Amino acid sequence: MTAELLLQTLASGVLIGLIYALVAIGLTMIFGVMDIVNFAHGEFLMLGMYSSFWLFALFALDPLVTLPLTVLMLFAFGVLLYKLVIRRIIDAPPLSQIFTTFGLMLLFRGLAQFFWKPDYRTIENSVVSGSVHLANFQLGRPQVVAGIGAIVVTTAVWFFLHRTKLGSALEATASDKEAARLMGIDSHKMFGLAWGIGAACAGAAGGLLSTFFPIFPEVGANFILIAFVVVNLGGFGSVAGAFLAGILVGVIEVMGGLLIGPQYKMAIVLALFLAVLMFRPQGLMGKAQ
Amino acid sequence: MNITWKFKLVAAGAAIMVMSGAQAQQEIKIGVIYPLTGPLASSGAEMRDALEFAADIVNNGLKGVPELPFSGGGGLTGLKGAKIKLVFADHQGNPQVGATEAERLISQEHVVALMGSYNSNVTQTASQVAERAKIPFLNAESSSPTLTQRSFKYFFRTTPHDELFVKNAVEFLKDVEQAKHIKIGSVATLAENTLFGNEAAKLQLKYATAAGYNVVKQVSYPAKTTQLTSEVQTLKAANPTVLLQSSYSEAILSMKTYKELGYLPDMLVANDAGFADTEFVKTLGKDADYVVSREVWALDIGDKKPIIKKVDDLFKARYKIDFTGNSARSFTGLMVLADAINRAGSTDPEAIRKALVATNLPASALIMPWKGVKFDETGQNTLGAGILVQIRDGKYSTVWPFDLASRDVAWPMPKWDARK
Amino acid sequence: MKRSTALLGAAAVVALVLPFVVKDAYWVNLAVLALMAAQIGAAWNLVGGYAGQASLGHAAFFGLGAYTSTLLLTNFGWNPWLGMVAGGLVAAVLSAVFGWSCFRLKGHYFTMATIAVAEIVQIVFTNWDYAGTAVGLSIPMETQGLAAMVFSDKISYYWLALGLLALTLLATWAVERSFLGFYFRAIKDEPDAARSIGIDIARYKQVALCLSAFFTAIGGSLYAQKELYIDPGSVLSTALSIKMALVSILGGVGTLFGPVIGSVVLTVIEELSRSTFGGSGRGTDTVIYAGLIVVVAVFYPSGIVGWFKERAVRRQARRDGATAEEAHAAAQAASALAAPTHESTGAVS
Repeated sequence: MTAELLLQTLASGVLIGLIYALVAIGLTMIFGVMDIVNFAHGEFLMLGMYSSFWLFALFALDPLVTLPLTVLMLFAFGVLLYKLVIRRIIDAPPLSQIFTTFGLMLLFRGLAQFFWKPDYRTIENSVVSGSVHLANFQLGRPQVVAGIGAIVVTTAVWFFLHRTKLGSALEATASDKEAARLMGIDSHKMFGLAWGIGAACAGAAGGLLSTFFPIFPEVGANFILIAFVVVNLGGFGSVAGAFLAGILVGVIEVMGGLLIGPQYKMAIVLALFLAVLMFRPQGLMGKAQ
Repeated sequence: MNITWKFKLVAAGAAIMVMSGAQAQQEIKIGVIYPLTGPLASSGAEMRDALEFAADIVNNGLKGVPELPFSGGGGLTGLKGAKIKLVFADHQGNPQVGATEAERLISQEHVVALMGSYNSNVTQTASQVAERAKIPFLNAESSSPTLTQRSFKYFFRTTPHDELFVKNAVEFLKDVEQAKHIKIGSVATLAENTLFGNEAAKLQLKYATAAGYNVVKQVSYPAKTTQLTSEVQTLKAANPTVLLQSSYSEAILSMKTYKELGYLPDMLVANDAGFADTEFVKTLGKDADYVVSREVWALDIGDKKPIIKKVDDLFKARYKIDFTGNSARSFTGLMVLADAINRAGSTDPEAIRKALVATNLPASALIMPWKGVKFDETGQNTLGAGILVQIRDGKYSTVWPFDLASRDVAWPMPKWDARK
Repeated sequence: MKRSTALLGAAAVVALVLPFVVKDAYWVNLAVLALMAAQIGAAWNLVGGYAGQASLGHAAFFGLGAYTSTLLLTNFGWNPWLGMVAGGLVAAVLSAVFGWSCFRLKGHYFTMATIAVAEIVQIVFTNWDYAGTAVGLSIPMETQGLAAMVFSDKISYYWLALGLLALTLLATWAVERSFLGFYFRAIKDEPDAARSIGIDIARYKQVALCLSAFFTAIGGSLYAQKELYIDPGSVLSTALSIKMALVSILGGVGTLFGPVIGSVVLTVIEELSRSTFGGSGRGTDTVIYAGLIVVVAVFYPSGIVGWFKERAVRRQARRDGATAEEAHAAAQAASALAAPTHESTGAVS
């Protein structure tokens, strides 16, 4: 176990962590603004991956090129989903909301299999295939690009929330729906927006992942537990928290797997997660309870 | 309880029809339980195609392949030309669902026999139901050795199991050492942490150690993983000469990770599954080359055994893909079952069971590289055999046993930067 | 109330008479599946519905029960009846660890923590040689009969499942009527008021969890004795945890018969859609099943029992001369009492 191996693993952990962060950011926004556990979030990721895939398969366009289109399509999908379904369960009991998003999760997976078959798809020879050599390191180029992409999107979201009027309106709704409404902010528009951005972030993650991860209807299942852990760890509603927690989880998973055993890598992440919650029940950057 | 009454009527009607045998064109139902949805659904789809193809041959014959049973046409001649009908059920990768579907097929569809289920843990429970109901269960693809260690009377398995496959892999290593005058010191295993991978890894440890190899590391990973970095880095640190890998869909992800992290052992000997899937070569292209995998079937054996090529061509013409080890076994399984039903000359499950016990199909009647099909007292086919293939230029070439090989095994695998 | 007692009586009669009328193994099997789902749903309901602690990690208890009784049987020859009780006790005791790590958390944090604990348990069992790792454990089929709790016919399992369900419902009924029921409701609906009158919230949450864990584990043992094969994926998965909660949510949380109704509906939909469409392999049955879940969740958030209660309240209010809006509000108020409170978890930042 050389220092070089450790450092390289650490770097890989950060890179996958950035992807986790991107998925979680969408999820945490939905939590923060409307307090809904979105079990179907992994399916936004899956749809983002399929979007990249079909654009590649049908028009020979590289995923990086089609990423903005994927993001837009997922945004629209998120808003549509809000209007058709989520809007009706805003005031429902939390268990009911869980039930609904869980049903949506199964529904999207089922529809994906129905329309696109269960075969595993991949995008071969994307512009970003191959490796990146830095000193003694060798990292996958798709992962590096995905990591950079995640940083870019996260920064964009953060700027949106803190530097734009619309973003402040979103924050206001999250803090106090009634007060925001009294100030003339339409809650439903904000919820729709949150849902759209949430889906778009997951879709972006999907587009970036599609350059190196296989695409299949159930792929959301691989990421959803981690996404939940990251959101909780970072603190519900905190974008910065989700970003930090994502990287942390990625590093812990990979390093833990290397040092203790890959079969335990998730157990290590979960145990540390529970430990943090012991001392900080609101997560790293969540609001104090 | 209206539904119950309707079903009872239908069931009664069907039973009367079956029992009277009044029509010569009788339909004999065989229940088929496979993963038609879920993570292994693409394998399930291939096997389904093969089964339908086999059923069609049993019912309507196949021109130009006289050695194949039923090729003359006319259905099941031992039952006055009755036709078989496959009733498909999806177990979704869930053992309890598999069992429930078995119940349904037996009591609602009145199948005379069951086939299934690919996933060994589902085969466990589904065949359990069949055993309790005294209905024959033919298993064509599950490799867990424990399936034939249950003293079941109604369970029959045509495929060899993992004990044989792992033995093959180790024999292969020994043969290569001799042929190439090299020494393989260390071995490591990488396995998916499920029934399949777990059992394979345990067997690999047992047989490799017994053969004198040093098993330096056994790495296992959770099935639904998002990345294999820790696993590959661990292997890099352990640096074995040969890596024995058991993976389903992560086969592709693992190869990509090997390339991205610049890792490759001298040889990767894979345990079929994900490495034999059509997606594997399609996705990886040249990066899949030189991987060796244990297999049960390869197209190039058709050069030595023409029946394989003939049947594959006909299959490909209809379904646009070649057989794989999985689908070839499913095809063969149904052939064996139909042959037994035919010899039984009856739809009575007990008679079919006896006929299965008496099965003795010669190698010439099969599209597998086996010595034949003959079941021992545990229900295991003792004449099965495994082969090893190596991927060269996107094709699976048989490299072991040496007398069946179509080309010499290339050893070691060229490192990533030495390729192209 | 009279109507509901009559309905309950009818349901009980149907349940008792069914095995004499329906002989078909498949339908009896379905009934057994529904009873088993109802039993674990009812077990979950004790802590998730009545005490309002929405755990999504209950599969841990199910699996503990299944593994305990199976290991005691295969390694020490313990009678499965004893093993079942032992499994229940093991789960109840270990639920203290579960509770200790999760109960201080609120709302979604709590739910997520329960998922995390159950996932850790699954990973432990997947890698534990003694428990069979991923390969799982089999129960031999040779010895059959009541003592061995292994049967070749489905009807015996039907009686067993019915008995366990009745036991679990009896326990729920007893709790509902006792001071425990009062405390649980207080913890769920008015935790601050409860604290102020001296109820030890932490302790009674744990009591609810212990009871719930005990009965869930018993359900796990029954599963093992029926399917005769268990592995981490089938008895410890999060999907199973969700199904346990789903059954109650569909039927109506915090109600005695909610889990039963929910489980019957869910099992019927699941099985019918799969047997009709499953063979095609397109996944049509999943789409239908999921679509129905979404529809019910969206339009009947209080579950089926809750919907009936609301309807009854609405009707009564109308009879008392209320307007449509007032009647609707009364119904909503009635259903709010049935559902757990909604704790906000913060803003976006």
